[in-house]
This record gives sequence, structure tokens and C-alpha cells, in this order.
Amino acid sequence: MSVSNLLENWSKFRHTHPVGDKGHPDWEAYPSEIKWAMSIDLDACTGCNACSVACYAENNLPVVGKEKYSHGQAMHWMRIERYWDEDKREVPNQGAQFLPMLCQQCEAAPCETVCPVGATNHTEDGLNSQIYNRCIGSRYCSANCPYKVRYFNWYDYPTTENVWPAPMEQQLNPDLTVRGKGVMEKCTFCKQRTYTARNNAKTEGRKIHDGDVQTACQQACPTNAISFGNLFDPESRVAKQWEQQQVELIKEEQEKDVKPGNNLRGYRIFEELRPYPSVMYLERVRESDV
Amino acid sequence: MGKDIREDIAWAHINQDVLKSLENPRPLFWVIVFVALMMFGVGVGCEVYQYQMGMGVAGLNNPNVWGLYIATFIFWIGMSHSGTLLSAILHLMHADWRKPIYRFAEAMTTFSLMTAGLFVMVHLGRLWQFYYAVPYPNERWTWPNFQSPLLWDAMAIFTYLSSSVIFLYVGSIPDFAICRDNIHPGWRKNLYTLLALGWEGTDRQWRNFRVTYLTVACFLIPLAVSVHSIVASDFAMSQQPGWHVTSFPPYFVAGALYSGCAAIITLFIILRYVFKFEEYMTMPILKKTVRLTFAIAMVWTYLNLIEFASVWYSHDEVAKAVLIDKATGRFAPFWWAMNFCGSVVPFTMMVKRWQTSIPIMFAVSLLLNLGMWLERWMIVTPTFSHGYYPWTMDTHYWPSLVQWGIVFGSFGWFTLLFMVFCKIVPSVSMYEVKEMVYHRSLATKKAELGLEGGH
Amino acid sequence: MSKRHMLALYNNFDEAEAVVRELRNSEIKGFNAADDLVVKSPIEHPEVEEFLGHKPVNVQWFTLIGALSGGLLAFFLIAGSQANFYSQMKGGKPIVPFPPDFVLTYEMFILGGVYITVLGFLICAGLPARRSPLYSAKVSTDQIGLLVRVDDNSAATLRSIFTKHQALEIQEEAGK
Repeated sequence: MSVSNLLENWSKFRHTHPVGDKGHPDWEAYPSEIKWAMSIDLDACTGCNACSVACYAENNLPVVGKEKYSHGQAMHWMRIERYWDEDKREVPNQGAQFLPMLCQQCEAAPCETVCPVGATNHTEDGLNSQIYNRCIGSRYCSANCPYKVRYFNWYDYPTTENVWPAPMEQQLNPDLTVRGKGVMEKCTFCKQRTYTARNNAKTEGRKIHDGDVQTACQQACPTNAISFGNLFDPESRVAKQWEQQQVELIKEEQEKDVKPGNNLRGYRIFEELRPYPSVMYLERVRESDV
Repeated sequence: MGKDIREDIAWAHINQDVLKSLENPRPLFWVIVFVALMMFGVGVGCEVYQYQMGMGVAGLNNPNVWGLYIATFIFWIGMSHSGTLLSAILHLMHADWRKPIYRFAEAMTTFSLMTAGLFVMVHLGRLWQFYYAVPYPNERWTWPNFQSPLLWDAMAIFTYLSSSVIFLYVGSIPDFAICRDNIHPGWRKNLYTLLALGWEGTDRQWRNFRVTYLTVACFLIPLAVSVHSIVASDFAMSQQPGWHVTSFPPYFVAGALYSGCAAIITLFIILRYVFKFEEYMTMPILKKTVRLTFAIAMVWTYLNLIEFASVWYSHDEVAKAVLIDKATGRFAPFWWAMNFCGSVVPFTMMVKRWQTSIPIMFAVSLLLNLGMWLERWMIVTPTFSHGYYPWTMDTHYWPSLVQWGIVFGSFGWFTLLFMVFCKIVPSVSMYEVKEMVYHRSLATKKAELGLEGGH
Repeated sequence: MSKRHMLALYNNFDEAEAVVRELRNSEIKGFNAADDLVVKSPIEHPEVEEFLGHKPVNVQWFTLIGALSGGLLAFFLIAGSQANFYSQMKGGKPIVPFPPDFVLTYEMFILGGVYITVLGFLICAGLPARRSPLYSAKVSTDQIGLLVRVDDNSAATLRSIFTKHQALEIQEEAGK
């Protein structure tokens, strides 16, 4: 710690991300070659909830039970939302539309700046991290999250009965912790898996390939609606999809959207709020449009 | 309008009257203390239960993560602002009618800030780790996040609380000396001797006292404004519809002064009766306070309407939806009650006869504060259930009894602290009432002699 | 030559003022009005300063130093901790962002100002202190006290001046 250190690296300390950056991996503070990103094809999604179940199993999410669920205290990091056409018919002819919602791992996350203790930060592989040990439970991050994808431990679930009734505690994932009461948690893009994959690649002295790592939700999806990978790797499926849909990470308004007559399906939710989310959705093709 | 205070009260009589308040208040005092203690007990019970079980028992849920705790926190912070208005702003403006009532207003500042501080704690999910938010060098080499408005809050409240305690204390030193000289020997005499720091009223002490008091008053004014602006920043700096409003800081400051002035009227009436202060807390002073409150009520009404108007004309569809939801949704009764109590009820203060009617003003001041409490609740809660993301609109949230219990208990805690304070520290500033009487009688004499009147 | 303290009590500021003026104008051996005269009053009375002659107040220097050092400490503590210990990106903002740091600098400016002003008050006013050898509780009620320190030889002269102006009470410390 020194003033000279501060002055020397002044320009680095005054850099904004991602808009002020020269682009990956040029920026000195984050010389990462990895930017985890996702794309979800809503046309393929059947709303089967397999992703959500897989997430519960992989990430030791507490099953809070009917009563707490009805109080809105569920812990589903990956939630399937249902939206109905408002055509006033008792049975909408197109049925529900589904939207799997998870933490969007924003590049400029609104939740990060407001945490009083700095428990949530931007990581070098482009995620929005949550440090459970550091969290004091002010819940400001959730208040400022436009997507409301942060979940608070309203009770001490590990000691609550029937959260993991025997022998279900045997299936808890040893690669990550169970969270006690009073801390915030949220989707990590299966951090335990991405870290293992990166370590393996490092051991083998190679770069991460597409397919080295799958998130639990991606793995469980029967229709292959979810793709996940390194956005900086041009060969990855996710990068190809983003490219094909002309969705760029560092834009709050995509060029294709201002052009008339574009038929591309890719979009990001609340792009205009400038959080630069890392999840791209592919719009559902409606029968009426076809 | 009659005189603010009788000009021929003997100085020795002032000492006697105020010192009596430390000895034998009316029996109602003990009733109030007892009731406050019971209320505080309820709050403590609820907090113990919540601490054991987790925040879930407060009835909060996943989009609705903030509730009454934050709303009541703002309420108490707001109430603290009028002490500074009376003691610092009116001091600089030489409005000497503040002198008999500023001491208790300052005490109100201190204790409502302490109550607000409690709500920060009560709100935390992991209360036992609250020190993570305190910036101190530690072996973990971690610091709080200085970008967070919550941290600015903590810093601002700490500064404000410690400054107003200091201000209250420095302003009371001459009175502690009076107590020391007059009270019968015992633990109280020892306490006052200690607190008076050997004050004798020498010219050197008074000279430095005057400059210090003025300087601290000058610091307190921008500080008070900054504190509530920062509380407003908790919301205005966020991205949520209904919160992200540029006019929030002045709106919050106006609301703060408003609820504080209303609380001063309430406490004025209670203290006047309980401690038999009829000679000092006179009707003309009540009238002036009521008029001041009315003026601030109109400022608040204006800023409140400005907030609605700026949302309405902003083309921000989401923020507009929140506003419409406030006026027509589940919280509509409370929202309309807030507007009624905040903007319509104060017009009763325009009736001259009612300005000095104790029962009417007591009821009105309570209604105004109810309105201001509702205002804070209506700022915090509807945004959660009608935010950007449509998923939140499906959730239903109502505070549980635990939450209501803690809010209820906080009123007991405040009343308890305040009443105990008034029993130990003279709640009317004796030396300043003497100054007031002295200068006013001088001015009267000069006028009688046909000389140029003083100010 | 040994010195002793005398305390005279007066009913109002006018009488006390007359005494002070006479004391300042007269030449009494072993008594210097600027150093040996203290006026005690139950209220703060600006005219006391006028008839007592100008005496400096230095509290404002403490205020200046306190406020500046509070502000500087805040900014360097915060910017330093952000840049050195905690070089961690949040929300795409710079690691040392100015607007929040200025908010905190402002608060600490006031905090430093208030604390050091009060410290300055205690130093300048000589508090906390033991009470002076002659003290009357009447000063805190309604009387004006004049405390003088004078040579034993001149005590009689002072006493006569005090009496001339209708002192209510004269207390005297036994000569040492």
C-alpha cells in the first residue's frame, strides 16, 4: 500500500467497465481470456422445469416447502416463469410462454455497487460473484437487481426440518457449501464446475475448449435450449450464437434493433438499463407470426 | 398575540421552576415511562425471536426484501431533523422564541437518531456481523464498499449523531453548572459536577462558548441536509422505478423537517403538562411552531406533487406504472391516507383559534406524523411489488406481526429514552431563557424611554 | 508579596460594568485589570466583552484544522483502501470512483470540524477545571461576579471600590 502505487496505476483505477475498456484481454486488471456467457432458446424451451430441478441438486438449494414457497421465500436460482397471452380467453390458444430466469451475470451489475460490505464483485472470468462469508444481509443488492434473481436465506435452512429429509442430505454436493441464515445467494453459472474445468485445462497446459464445462441446467435440458461457454472463444457454440444473432456484449442497444426489418431472434432483457447482461434469449417463434 | 414569555420572571424563579422538573413531575410521567417500557419490551421480544429464527419471520420475501424496517428507519431519521432546525438554523437567525423549546427538540434529534440506528441493525440478516460495514483496519485486509449508499448512510448517521450529542452537551454545560450548584447532595450532584466540567460562567468561558456554539451550529445545518439527502440516495441512486427520482433528496429533507416539527408539537404538549412548564412553553410559542410546521407542510406538499408530476410527464412507463399502482393497487388506501394526512390535515393549522388549542394540535400533530410514516412506507414497499420485472407483480407481501411489533416497540424505546432524559437533564434551557427574558425586558425598557428600539 | 482572591457580587450588568471601568482606569499596585480580573455571569452577555476590553478567541483555528484534516483523512483513507487493499471491480465503475468518495469526504470534513472545534473549546476555555477558590452559587442564579487577584496591600482599595458600587456581597480569601 502506498500513494506511489495509487498514482502509478491511476489510469487503471479510473477505468470503467465494460464501456471504457479497450476490450478483453487488453485491460490490465482483468487479463482474462474467459468470459462465461449463456444463450437460451425460448423456442426450444418446453417449460419442463428440469433445469430448475438440476440446479436444486447441483447447488444445494434448500427445498423450503409449500408454506414458505407460498410466502415467496423459495430459493430457485433458476426459475421458470410463465406468461399468458392476454386475450381474455379462458384457455389461451397459444398456452403459456416460458422464460427460464437466472442471474444474468451482468458485466456492470447494479447489485455490486450498492453492497455495503463489498460481498458481491465482478470476477475476472466475467461473473458476478457472491461472497457468503462477507454478506451481512442488508439485501440492498436484491433491492437494486432489475431481474430480482437474488435469493435471501430467510431461515437457517440447513437446520430446518424437511429441507433435505434423510437420506437426501446424502446427495448434497460436496463441491460447494450450504448457506446459513441471513445471507444472499444466487446463480453462479455453476462456479464449482467452471473452476474445475479451468484447473483441468491448466494442468493439461491447454486452453478451455467448448464442451469442457456444462452448467447443471444446460446438462439437464431435454431440448438443448441452453448453451453455455466462453464468449471470447470464437469456436464456442455460445459465441457463434451471439455472433449469428448480432448481439454484442458491450452495447445497450444493438445495431440490428434500430435497423428495420430484422428477423433475428436474439435479445437481452433490460439491455437499456446498461447492466450488460451475459445471458442472451432467443425469442419464441409464434405461430401467428409464421 | 401575547408575549412569548413573561418578561418579569425573576432569574432565580427560572432556576427553581426548571429544577423542579428534575424532581417531581406529574404522575403522568411515570405512567408514560411504564407504558413506554412495556412497548419496548414487545419490540425486544420480537427482535429476539427474529434473531433466533431468521428474517423470514418478518414476513419478507424474495422480491420484497425491504419492508417496514427501512420505512421506519427513514421515519426516525427524518424526525431528527427538526431539532437541528430549531437549535441551529433559528439560532443563526436570532429567533429567540426557540430558546425555551430547543433543548428538548435537540434531545429528540439525538434519540430518534439512536432509534433509527437500531432499525439498521434490526434489518440486517446477519446482525452479528454488522461490524463488517465499519471501516477499520483489520487483519483480514478488507474494507467496506465505499460506493454503497448504505455506507454513506452509516457514515452520515454516525457524524450526525455524534455531532448532535456534542452540540446538545456543549449547550447544556451552563445548565449542568446550575444543577450542580442547586441540587441536594447525592449521585445526581456528583453527576452534574462531572458534566459541568467546572463551569463557572467566567468571561473567558462564555467568550469561547459563544464561538464554539455558533461554529457547531454552522456545521450542523449542512450536515442535517446531507444526512437526509444521503438517505434519499439509498433510493435515488438505485435503478428501481419509483425510487430513481432526481427530486428525492430535497423531498426527503422537506419530509424530515415536516415530521420533526409535528413531533415537536406533540412533545411540546406532553412536556408542558407533565413538567408544568406552562410559563415557558407558552401558547404564543406553540403558535409560532404551528405556523412554521404549516409552512414546511406546504413545502412538502409541493415537492410531493412535483415528484408525481415529474414521473407522470417523464415518459418512463415503468415508473408511471408504479405510481398508478400506488394510487389504485393494494396499497391505495395507505397512499391516499398519506396524501390526506400530509397535505389536507395541515390546513387545520390555518385556523387561528385552533393554533393554540392543545387537544386539536395534539391530534393534528399525531396525524401529520402518521402521514409521514405512511409516506416512507409508500416509498419503500410498492416499488418491490411493482418493479421492472413482471414476475414481482405476482407476489403478495404483507408485514408480519413481528415486523409490526418491532416498529411498535421502537416508539416505546424512543419515548423511554426521551422521558428519562427530561428527568435528568433540564429540558428547558435555563441560561438561555434568562437571556431571552433579559434581552426582551431591555428592549421594552428602551422602547419606554423613547430611545431607538433594539432588535 | 502574597496575592489573594476577592469576589464581589452585583445585582446587574450595569453596576458590574461601572466597577470594571473604574478598575481598568485606576492604577492599583499589584493589580492589572487585563490579567487579574474575571467577570462571571449567569448568561452570555456580549457587552461584557466590550467593557472588559478585547480578548482573542482562537477556537476557529481548531475548526479549520479539524475540518481540513478530517476531509483529507477521509479521502486518502477511502481512495487508498479502494486502490490498495480492495482493488476489486464493482458494477463497472472505476475502482476509485469520485462521487461516493466526495460524499464521504464531506461527512468526515464536518466530523473533523465538529470534534476538533469542541476540543478547541475545552482547551481555550480551560475546561475541565477545578472551580476557582472563591465561588458563589449565586453567579449561576442571577448575580454578576467579579473575581480579582490582588496584592494583600491593595485589598483595601479594591474593597472600597466594590462597596462604592453597592456590592451585594464581598468574599475574600485569607491572605497566604
